[in-house]
Amino acid sequence: MTGAGQGVGEGIARACAAQGANVVIAARRAETGEPVAASIRERGDEAVCIVTDVTSRDSMTACVAETIERYGGLEVMVHNAYRGAAPHRLEELDVELWDRNSRTAVWGSYYSAVLAFPHLRDAGARGRLILITSPSGVEGSVNIPIYSPVKAAQRAMAKSLSREWGPLGITVNCIAPVAASPALMGAFEQNPVLEERVTARTSLRRIGDLEHDIGPVAVFLASGDGGYVTGQTIVCDGGSFMGL
Amino acid sequence: MHRPLDGKRVVVTGTERDFGRELLDGVLGGGPSHASGIATSALETRAQVDVQLAAAAERARGPVDVVVHVAMPEVAFEAIDFAEVDDARWEAVWEGTMRPTLFVLQAAFREMQGRGGSIVLVTPTVSMSGAERLVPYTVAVEGQRLLAKSAARQWGPDGIRVNCVAPAPEHSAVGVESTAVSLAPPALGGPGDVVADIAPVVVWLASDAAHFVTGVTVCADGGVWMAP
Repeated sequence: MTGAGQGVGEGIARACAAQGANVVIAARRAETGEPVAASIRERGDEAVCIVTDVTSRDSMTACVAETIERYGGLEVMVHNAYRGAAPHRLEELDVELWDRNSRTAVWGSYYSAVLAFPHLRDAGARGRLILITSPSGVEGSVNIPIYSPVKAAQRAMAKSLSREWGPLGITVNCIAPVAASPALMGAFEQNPVLEERVTARTSLRRIGDLEHDIGPVAVFLASGDGGYVTGQTIVCDGGSFMGL
Repeated sequence: MHRPLDGKRVVVTGTERDFGRELLDGVLGGGPSHASGIATSALETRAQVDVQLAAAAERARGPVDVVVHVAMPEVAFEAIDFAEVDDARWEAVWEGTMRPTLFVLQAAFREMQGRGGSIVLVTPTVSMSGAERLVPYTVAVEGQRLLAKSAARQWGPDGIRVNCVAPAPEHSAVGVESTAVSLAPPALGGPGDVVADIAPVVVWLASDAAHFVTGVTVCADGGVWMAP
């Protein structure tokens, strides 16, 4: 589980661990990843932190290798890590901000998929790749325009890979959550009007809980119950974006 | 005479390939005051893009009103098992598509700022359907398609519209047929002729007739992909 040191990644990691998974908290910083892994273990579930940079092939290779060594296999790869959600004007976007978005969301997805593949293939019908995208990857974004193409790229990857890996039994899906991540809460803090607008547009009138609202969707896709769902994006946002 | 692009200065990218060349021919049929093509190889860096757009404006004797972006690096069209994709290929297809597309949009913005204009990206339907052995290609095309939506949202107040036209996959060199992703045959027959069937959709989006249309993807595939 990449990007599991906080936010959506942490929520999904907790939910998967609670359902019996051995979870690798692949976090960029030990300061965030280690406490998450420790608190999961304190609940009696299994987790370990492996410090991982998703933009580095070497780091991702090491993460996968350590996972195999520790747990004897890798059945479910979840890529959530993302950096670069700073508001900007598209006409002024520089290569640096583009790179941050591209490297974490898209290159990170590519490394997650290509490096996990031999193990997902070994897992056969239990093999899962789950990419965390966003409703913005479908509808575009006026505040963070470059966020949309990198999130859309993940959706296309899930569709094409689901067709390519389907004969092996591996499923590939996306989850598009809106939940109380530190990133979203930070944005609300800076812009209270945004919170009002987002909540008002949400059918259930509340922002999703990371572990208990988003986590179960990942658990479903990762489990045998989700074995006939592939190539899809499950929007989990309390009933806001309904464009699929 | 029907001249929906009367008075418009148009640039079409990716005209080194048949599709782009034929699209430029079709756009010329819309009666622009000027239209010219730019090859994909001339649009790799931001500096190159800026020089090419400025040169196009000079040729047209005024700022560009319409940019039709077809350009894509040749390597993107190669089908390959995902497990065989290496970093160099990912860089060439993903970054090699997205960065020039971003630079073209930014240069188009500068041409159109304060005056309005229309940008049309050609994004074959295969990015929406997905296709095996085409992960890099479909990822890049879908990235372009959402870049268009975000640009449409930000630049609408400037009168700049950004849309996509999605032809059948047969019009891309990726070797995928429409029947690979749909059990139904193309409702109108397919995959259609670039000049007669697809260019008119591009011309419409480029013209003032589509002045209230932005951020959309119009499938011009003869009626195959109908989602959502």
